[in-house]
Amino acid sequence: MTAFEIDARQVPFNNGDNILKAALNAGVEIPHFCYHHALGSLGACRLCAVEVKPEQPEQRPRVVMACMEPARAGLKVSVAAPAALRARQGVIEFLMTNHPHDCPVCDEGGECHLQDMTVACGPPYRRYRGRKRTFINQDLGPLVHHEMNRCITCYRCTRYYQQYALGTDLGAMRLRNEVYFGRFQDGPLESPFAGNLVEVCPTGVFTDKVFRSRFARVWDLDTAPSICPHCSVGCNTLPGARLGTLRRVRNRDHAELNRWFLCDRGRFGHQYTEHPERPWQARVRGQTVNYSDALGAALDQLQRAGAAVAGVGSPREDLESNALLQRLIIRHGGFFAAFTDPGIEAATAHAVRYINRMGTPTLAAMEHADAILVAGELTAVAPMMDLGVRQASRNKAKVGVIHHVADPLATLADYDIRLAPRQTSVALKRLQGMIATTAEQSSGDEHGLAQLAATLMHAQHPLLIGVVETLGAYGVAALAKLAQSLGGQAALAYALPGPNAYGAAIVNEDGATQKVLEAVETGKVRCLVVTAADPLGDTRTGWRWREAVGRLDSLIVMDCVDSATVRAADILIPTAAWAERSGYFINYEGRVQCFDRVFERDKPLPASVAVIADLANALDLGAGEPRVAIADLLPGIALPLAGEPGIRLTPRVRLDVPPPIESVAGATGHWQVGLASWYGDDPLADHAAALSSLAPASTATIAPDTARIAELATDARVMLRGPAGSLPLPLCIDANVAEDTVALPRSAMCQIGVGHGGYVELEAMP
Amino acid sequence: MAEQPNQNDIHPTERIKKDRAAIVEVMMELQAKRGFLDDQDVIEAARRTGLSPTEVEELASFYTLIYRRPVGRRVLLVCDSVCCAMNGSERLLNTLERRLGIALGEVSRDGAVTVLPSICLGLCDRAPAALLNGEALGPLDDARLDALLLELKRSR
Repeated sequence: MTAFEIDARQVPFNNGDNILKAALNAGVEIPHFCYHHALGSLGACRLCAVEVKPEQPEQRPRVVMACMEPARAGLKVSVAAPAALRARQGVIEFLMTNHPHDCPVCDEGGECHLQDMTVACGPPYRRYRGRKRTFINQDLGPLVHHEMNRCITCYRCTRYYQQYALGTDLGAMRLRNEVYFGRFQDGPLESPFAGNLVEVCPTGVFTDKVFRSRFARVWDLDTAPSICPHCSVGCNTLPGARLGTLRRVRNRDHAELNRWFLCDRGRFGHQYTEHPERPWQARVRGQTVNYSDALGAALDQLQRAGAAVAGVGSPREDLESNALLQRLIIRHGGFFAAFTDPGIEAATAHAVRYINRMGTPTLAAMEHADAILVAGELTAVAPMMDLGVRQASRNKAKVGVIHHVADPLATLADYDIRLAPRQTSVALKRLQGMIATTAEQSSGDEHGLAQLAATLMHAQHPLLIGVVETLGAYGVAALAKLAQSLGGQAALAYALPGPNAYGAAIVNEDGATQKVLEAVETGKVRCLVVTAADPLGDTRTGWRWREAVGRLDSLIVMDCVDSATVRAADILIPTAAWAERSGYFINYEGRVQCFDRVFERDKPLPASVAVIADLANALDLGAGEPRVAIADLLPGIALPLAGEPGIRLTPRVRLDVPPPIESVAGATGHWQVGLASWYGDDPLADHAAALSSLAPASTATIAPDTARIAELATDARVMLRGPAGSLPLPLCIDANVAEDTVALPRSAMCQIGVGHGGYVELEAMP
Repeated sequence: MAEQPNQNDIHPTERIKKDRAAIVEVMMELQAKRGFLDDQDVIEAARRTGLSPTEVEELASFYTLIYRRPVGRRVLLVCDSVCCAMNGSERLLNTLERRLGIALGEVSRDGAVTVLPSICLGLCDRAPAALLNGEALGPLDDARLDALLLELKRSR
């Protein structure tokens, strides 16, 4: 590798690097503002001034901007040269003319790039005595606080928001000394990635509004490397806690996953840990008890039930809890499932097998695809995958989206294909057929499918991404077969339903969920242990669980958030939230990652794995060691430590993939239910006050054509009927919804007992 | 926006690019109604071009010839870039404020005139220069300024 010199130090560089990029990569600090690894060079702030030594004797040294000057072999650069130093001092002095001296009360203080740079290079005193330019701040919603007076016009915010994240509601207004970064009018930022402004801004213009409501100085925060618990991507995070409460979450770099950014669910979802309704006290049949009494009651129930026990793990529960609960229940002679809905179990199991067989790209690799098909509402399920697709799109990839409701990614797509839930897998099979013959020959263009098929066929690096929850097992298989038909270069990825869905899938036996549910329904189970799952709140199967648990002698529930299942528990043992314990998640790539305990509460709650271990030890089942349970599950894997990039599992589970059978709906009604989700929708983040205040209103949403045929007016109220009951909802008409589809939020689906793709009756209310 | 090929013949992204490119004309057209753009006009411009209201506002608040507040029937843009500043644009602006009795950006009571500073008008050879509803003026020495003020007064 070629190198150049910075103040007598050799700095290697890659072709195309500028001086600043090469220096920062080599750990040589050059002061800078507007340069950002993800956003590149702009040359606007003039702070990265360095001196370049003359190469010919007749030349003179010159001061250049390190971010704009290409690195080349033999170049001699000085950061310390007096001319460069003076240039940087001048820049800082100018930036500070308008910047308020409010560091003591500024949220950014202590982690402020401007503060660091001013201390590092600026003059110690201010000479400017004039009036400062001031602005009126905007209300940017509940997540990001705006303080425009602190702006130094580096344009990082709009470059990130508009160019990188492809948002359109934050911009640079006006001109001259009055450049203003904000929205057209007050209102919540619309991007699901708006929270990154907090980290992108080198000073305190955009700060974390949630953190601000319960602020602590950054140097007082307890932090530890963690993994985001809000989806299957497994972004690396750095939560910060103070005095026994969790205050904020920041991004932590992972070279192959999230790198510089997080989605707003990952950044602001943590507020669930401080929710007033969070279960703090153990309960036995409505009576508040202490932990050992609750454990004693649980043991008693397990012993009484004998082999008539069942356990339900969860894709949002860590690997060791799932593995240990499975061991405990199986050794006790009972049934275990890591899922609550047989459909989700089958879909996840298939997705995991396909990515085991075919491999799956890292988040960073997704950006290099040149044609992408997204099947499902990706933004709502795995927002950071959506951000990866946006980067590919910026790199000129053609993007096709098959969706059933309004979808942020579809508005950016080249092929916006709107289909009712049950038509998705039909379309995927049709695409496969077009590719198997040749796209050109197919007659007519069905929803733009032929064009999309041709694009995928001619791409060098096509990428298919499927949302497992809405695709179902049949759709998951259809997408994998489509990838196979594109040949070896096609990449396949699935957004799995939960941070440890992959882990849950490898703990789970095929068909276990159906077995557990039926065993509970038929009274074969006396005692059911549920950890971090909400079977009673399920969309498709919740009503069956709600009826079935009535046949139990006892329902033992461990969780860290309130839920229908928690409320129905006979014995409730509250457990630690993720930042209050350590554990392992396996992400969508099959990457085992460890999250560390960040802090301890004044009255610590046990981790669920500790509760299960206590039960196992007391029952003397020899199943009590979490590490052994994981080692048996992942033989030969040296588990990673927290802060390490994780270990990707090589294919080891059964590779034969039995073809799934598409379930045929038995229910009445001709409306297909489509899940109307959004980027904050998650069993944990639903309890995050600020984030969930942005949740869309609960409506039944249908397409205008469908409304016309069904003679439904815009302001109508409709009655929905499903197997679990009926529910009145206001009607909303939206052209982004597929025909024959009624889009419903999760809570409404749960109440009427219909899952995504199920059928429902709908009629206008008088 | 006058002559457009059949919309269906153009690829969607190409069409969006075309519509976006029309933003300045759309803003000028909307501004012609009342002399400035109100918030509703910004939203309307966004609707017509496929830009977001924020993106329209970025442009509307940047361009010197687009006004987001009511202006007088005639707008006097006084250049304050380097050449004009060296040749007395600041004094010129102060004088105009004083003699017209309005601050920069305000509308005179009779609705006749608004004075605004402007970035370089490209009239450096006539510094200090100004633009009165598109007509180039300058160099605005004391005599020419008196004549200009007289004309503004007459046209009221």
